[in-house]
Amino acid sequence: MQAEKQSSSLARQILKSATESSLIPFLAILTAVIVGGIIISIVGGNPFQAYRGLIEGSLGSQKALSETAVWATPYIFAGLAVALAFKGGLFNIGAEGQLALGAVFSSLIGYALPGWLGFDLPTIIHLPLAIIVGMIAGGIWAGVVGALKAYTGGHEVINTIMMNYIALNTTSFLLNGIMKDKSPTNVIARTPMIADSARIPTIFEGLRVHWGFLLALLVAFFIWWLLTKTTLGFEIRTVGLNPDAAKYAGINVKRTITLTMVFSGMLAGLAGAIEVTGLNFRHELGFSIGYGFDAIAIALLGKSHPLGVVLAAILFAAMRNGATRMQFITQLPVDLISMLQAFILLFVAADAIVRYIYRVKSKGERVVLTRGWGG
Amino acid sequence: MKKLYLVLAALIIASMVLSACGTAPSAEDCASPDVFCVGLVTDVGKINDKSFNQSAWEGVQKAQTDGVADVVQYIETTDAKDYAKNIAQFGDAGYDAIVTVGFALGEATVAAAATYPDIHFIGVDQFQAETTEGVSGLNFPEDNAGFLVGALAAMMSESHKIGAVCGTDVVPPVWRFGEGYKAGAAYADAQNGTTTEVFVVYHSDVGFDKTFTDPEWGAQTAKSMMDQGADAIFGCGGITGNGAITAAAQAGAYAIGVDTDQYLTLPEAAPRMLSSAMKLITPGVAKLIAAVKDGTIESGNVFGDAGYAPFHDLEASVPAEVKTAMETINTGLLDGSIKTDVPPVKP
Repeated sequence: MQAEKQSSSLARQILKSATESSLIPFLAILTAVIVGGIIISIVGGNPFQAYRGLIEGSLGSQKALSETAVWATPYIFAGLAVALAFKGGLFNIGAEGQLALGAVFSSLIGYALPGWLGFDLPTIIHLPLAIIVGMIAGGIWAGVVGALKAYTGGHEVINTIMMNYIALNTTSFLLNGIMKDKSPTNVIARTPMIADSARIPTIFEGLRVHWGFLLALLVAFFIWWLLTKTTLGFEIRTVGLNPDAAKYAGINVKRTITLTMVFSGMLAGLAGAIEVTGLNFRHELGFSIGYGFDAIAIALLGKSHPLGVVLAAILFAAMRNGATRMQFITQLPVDLISMLQAFILLFVAADAIVRYIYRVKSKGERVVLTRGWGG
Repeated sequence: MKKLYLVLAALIIASMVLSACGTAPSAEDCASPDVFCVGLVTDVGKINDKSFNQSAWEGVQKAQTDGVADVVQYIETTDAKDYAKNIAQFGDAGYDAIVTVGFALGEATVAAAATYPDIHFIGVDQFQAETTEGVSGLNFPEDNAGFLVGALAAMMSESHKIGAVCGTDVVPPVWRFGEGYKAGAAYADAQNGTTTEVFVVYHSDVGFDKTFTDPEWGAQTAKSMMDQGADAIFGCGGITGNGAITAAAQAGAYAIGVDTDQYLTLPEAAPRMLSSAMKLITPGVAKLIAAVKDGTIESGNVFGDAGYAPFHDLEASVPAEVKTAMETINTGLLDGSIKTDVPPVKP
C-alpha cells in the first residue's frame, strides 16, 4: 500500500511538473500555428486546407502514422544526442557530422563485412555489429571534441562545426570514391546495398516503420534513467550546472566532459546507423539534409528532457512527413514547414514573447543550456 | 487577461479574413476515369531550379494548357528517403500519369510501377537497362545536341580552332555529346568550305569519383586549348565542364553549356555564353503525357529531342546566316535528313 501511494504521488508529481514545463512549448506551438496561418494566407494559400493536409499526411492513416514514425526515429536519436550534451553544459552542433559518419561506417560493415570474411553472417551478429560500429564512429568523432574541450579548453561549438566540415567532406570523398556502388548503371554517390543480414525488419507488413523506432523510445528511456538514476548522470548534470562546484564535490570534470561528448556522439552515430540499417539500406549523399541541425531545435523544444525530446521529435517528424500531403493539397512550398519550425523555436527560445502574450508568470528557474563562451 | 483575448481574437479574425482571399484548390476526383491527372515528383531540389525539375514541370504544365491533363500537381522532395512516399501520394490518389525527375528516382519509380499497375510512369533522364511495364524512361539524343553546338562553334570561330572539355567517355551520353560535337563541326566545314581543328578531351584519366567533379582540371584543360588558339569551348560533364565554361568565358572565348540553358545557371559565364547543347525536356515530357492519354505510350526507353539554347547576350554578335544555318541543321536533325552517325555507345 505504502509503495502504491508513493508511486501514485510520484506520478502526480511528474504529471504536474510535465504540465508546467510543457506549457510554454505548447503555447509556442499554438502561436507559431496562428502566425504561420497568417503567413500562408498572405502568400495566397488557405491555412485551414494547409493544416488539414499537414494533419492528414502525418496522422490520417496507418501509412501516414508509419511514415511519421520513420521520420521521428533519427530525430529522437539525434535530439537525445544534443539534449544530453546540453545537460552536460555542452553545445553539440556536430550531430550532423557524427550522424553522417555513423551512417558511413554502419553501411560499410553492412555491405562489405561478409566479403572481407568470405562467409555470410547471421543477422544476430551482423546487424548489431553494423549498428554498434556506426555508434562508435559517432562517439569517437564527438569524443575528440570533448577531449579538446576538457584538456585544452578548445570551445566545443567551434570544434564541432569544424569537425562537421571534415566529416561531411570525408563522407562525400568516400561515397564518390572507394565506397561508391560500382555497378555500371549507377552515377550517384552512394554505397552498395547492405546485406540482408544487416537490416532491421519492419514492425508491420507493408509499412516502412521498423523496430528502430522502438529502439529509439527505449534509448530515450535509458538516457532518462542514466541522467536521473545513476552517479554518472548526476556527474554530467552537476558539471553542466556548475563545473567549479562539481570539481569541489570531487567529480572528475575533464573525464565527465569527454564522456558526455562521447555519449552524445554515440547517440548521433546511432541515428545514422539506424537510418542505414532500418530504412535506406545504403548510405547516399543527399540523405540526411540537416537531421543534426533539426536535432538542436528538437532538444531546445523538448527542454533537453528525454520525454520532451521524444515528443518534440514526433512533432517535427509529423510536420516534415505531413508536408508532402500539404503540398499535394495546396501546392504551397514545403519550405513553409521550415518556417513553422523556426517560429516554434523562436517562441520557445524567446519565451518572454509567449509569456507576455498569454500573461504566463515566470517561475524563476531558468534552464541552463550551455555555459557559453570560454566557460 | 482581456488583452490576451483581444490579441487572440484579432489573430484569428485576421487569419480568417486573409484566408478568404486565398484560392481554393481544385477538388476534382483523380480516381475517376474521366479526369486525367498528372503528378510530378522532383529530385531533391526545388521546382524552380532552372534545370531538370523546372523544365519537366513546365512540360507537365504544357500538357495542361494543351488540354491533355485536367489536374496537374507537383511534390518537391526534401529528402531521398521520401521518394517512394511522394510517388505514393499521387499513386494512392489515383493519378493517371506520374513524372519522376532525375536518375536518382529510377529505382523508386520502377518499384512504384509494380505497386500501381494502372498508372504510367515517366522517368526523366532515367535510362532503362531493362524494360519495366508501365515505365517510360525519357532519354535524349545527346549526339544531336553536341552536333548542333559543334556546328555553331565551327561557324562562329575566327581562329578555326574549337574545343570541348568533357567527363569520362565511359559514360555513353558524355561520349555522344563529344562525338556529336566533332561531327557537327565537320558538317559545318563541309558546308562552308572551312577547316576547323577540333580538340575534344575526355576526363577519362581519373575514376568515376572525380571525372564529373573536377572544375580545376576543366579550367586548366580549357586554358591549354585556348593557348593553342581555340576560341570556343564546349563544357560537357557536370562540374568539370562548368569549370571549362567559366574559364572560357573569363578569357573572352565563346562558352557553350550542356543539358539545360546554362546561361541561367552559370551567371559568371553568362556574358560569353554562346549557347547550350540542350535536352528538350519540356516538350518531351508534354509529348509523353499526351501519349499516355492516347494509350500509345511505350514502356522502356523513349527518346525526346535535342536542341540548342538561345544566344542571349551574344544575340547581336551571331550573324544572320549562322542563325539560318543553325535553323536548317536543327530541322534536318529533327526530320532525320541530317544524321550524326554517332553510335549509341563507344565501339
